[in-house]
Amino acid sequence: MQALQIFLQNWIYLIGAMAIFGIGLYITLTNENIFKIIVGLDIIESGTNLFMTAIAWHPKAVMPIYTATNQLVVNGKVVSADPLPQSLVLTAIVIGLGTTALALTIAVKIFEKYGTLDVRKIKEAKR
Amino acid sequence: MNIFNNAALLIGVPLLFAFSIPLFGLISKELAKWVTLLTIGFNASFSFYILFAHKYPTMVVMGNWLPPFGENLYIGPVAAFLVFVISMIGLLIAIYNLWAIKKGDVIRFSVLFLMFTAGASGIVLTGDIFNLFIFMEITGISSYALAAFGPERRALGGAFKFLVVSSIGSTLYLMGVTLIYTQLGTLNIAEIAARINQTTPGLLTFAGILIISGLAVEAELFPFNGWVPDTYTGAINGVSASLSGIAAISAVYALFRIAMTVFGKSGGAYVSTYGKIDLMALIALLATATVIIGELSALSQKNVKKMLAYSSMAQMGLIAVGFSIGNKLGVYGGIFQLVNHSIAKSMLFLIVGVLVAVGVGENIDDFKGLWKRNPFLTLTFSIGAFSMLGFPLFGGFWSKFSIVAASVQRGGWYDFIIGLVLFASVVEAFYYLRIVAYMFASDVELPKVKTPITPAIPIFILAVSIVAIGIFPQIVGTFSAQAAGELTHKMSGYILHVIPSIAAH
Repeated sequence: MQALQIFLQNWIYLIGAMAIFGIGLYITLTNENIFKIIVGLDIIESGTNLFMTAIAWHPKAVMPIYTATNQLVVNGKVVSADPLPQSLVLTAIVIGLGTTALALTIAVKIFEKYGTLDVRKIKEAKR
Repeated sequence: MNIFNNAALLIGVPLLFAFSIPLFGLISKELAKWVTLLTIGFNASFSFYILFAHKYPTMVVMGNWLPPFGENLYIGPVAAFLVFVISMIGLLIAIYNLWAIKKGDVIRFSVLFLMFTAGASGIVLTGDIFNLFIFMEITGISSYALAAFGPERRALGGAFKFLVVSSIGSTLYLMGVTLIYTQLGTLNIAEIAARINQTTPGLLTFAGILIISGLAVEAELFPFNGWVPDTYTGAINGVSASLSGIAAISAVYALFRIAMTVFGKSGGAYVSTYGKIDLMALIALLATATVIIGELSALSQKNVKKMLAYSSMAQMGLIAVGFSIGNKLGVYGGIFQLVNHSIAKSMLFLIVGVLVAVGVGENIDDFKGLWKRNPFLTLTFSIGAFSMLGFPLFGGFWSKFSIVAASVQRGGWYDFIIGLVLFASVVEAFYYLRIVAYMFASDVELPKVKTPITPAIPIFILAVSIVAIGIFPQIVGTFSAQAAGELTHKMSGYILHVIPSIAAH
């Protein structure tokens, strides 16, 4: 019972994040529709961001802000969550937004020029 | 450790002018292109000053927080030399763009091109493993948009493919970086490199594979290089030239900075890495596969641009093979080959660009009888082709020679690299000399074509530099020998320059 609890508390987020990553990768690699590929890319990014936030956290962590009641260090041990990966995630989210926006722009252009979003049909319609 | 904070201008000035180009564009479109040219010109002259006034090794420290606490840029022999090459090739392509980019959104093209060079310089300069990711994304996102630029619709498919593969790659890189961060609690390259043996070997290997596969996308290594032919063929020629001339340099740098400095063991004649498997051997395997697949695919192409794209893939494999031998001579040959490849391949793409624009075309059959139609472009194309296949007295000879010599020095199963380089040269000789023979030998009577003056300037400079490197290899050789010293001795070459007080492990 306790083993399950530890598992749920410590590992579920990491494994869930990896699972989301895998789902996104599967969608990106198997779909023929450009829009669905972009959705897959977004899911991959969410998986990575979740992974990074989960790594910085543990079940008994307190918030990483020093106040009179919120002690970051107890008995010489750091008990706060790690704030640095969270700031990395912020950057990664912004970059992901830029990539998605550009991908959607290219998808719109592809639809204008080819009249389809299907990768196979685009390949057949050479030049 | 000496600090030279002005070197941050190498990244700051291009970014500043990139975002102020729309203001200049209000006045005239020509002005936007000239601002691009002058900004990259500033970068080229400033990096020339750093390189030849021997300002390196030096550091840029943000806000006086010394590393490992603050973010830093480190300019060692590698960075000083590669930034110089990047900005010189960028300058020449910017001159070509003055003539080539007339239609379409000139202003946004200039913004993207400046951001592209700024990002590529940033990758080479940075001393922080997460900033490397950010600069990778700056270079990446601007190059997807650049690859989609142009009137032809095939550009869009190539750019989209590039975007998908490359953003998956950078996500993998980010995951690897996070795993290393959980083990060591730092993002500074020098501190990670010094303490890398304190990590769990299994996790370190996993992180290493994630990072290497992420970086191999941009470095065009098999099996992550499916985007190369479509993107290079689809993009306009100036962009293909900058992808193979500028992005390639920064990608190879990032790959081997991580593999050799961060993961590498210090001491020993040949660099190998910590963890359960040797990442250098892994890269050697991937690179070998890249060379074979790239050369054989290039052989059957009818379209010169597609042929150049596959050849570029194969050359990147050859460069990675050179680095992955892991001794000083091998890294020397790798850097030499990298510089030769960027010069020759960007020149070949620019020549194809001029030929398409004056109405000759980009298929191999269109090159028949070109000698009588336009001697200048024929000669420069032949010079580029000879340098590619490593003909003596051209740049490529010396680099291929030192890669072979390094593999002989290493011995063991690395001996097969001799065969690999020879195989590559023979196949390259077949498909490049076929074009050269078409150009000189066919007697097809077609009207002469004139070379426009503006794009002729960069092509001429690049051709002259290929011949100059071929006759005086020490022009590149001195710098790449210093760079090889930095990459193969991680403690004395890199870490102690960045953090002098760090304890050796």
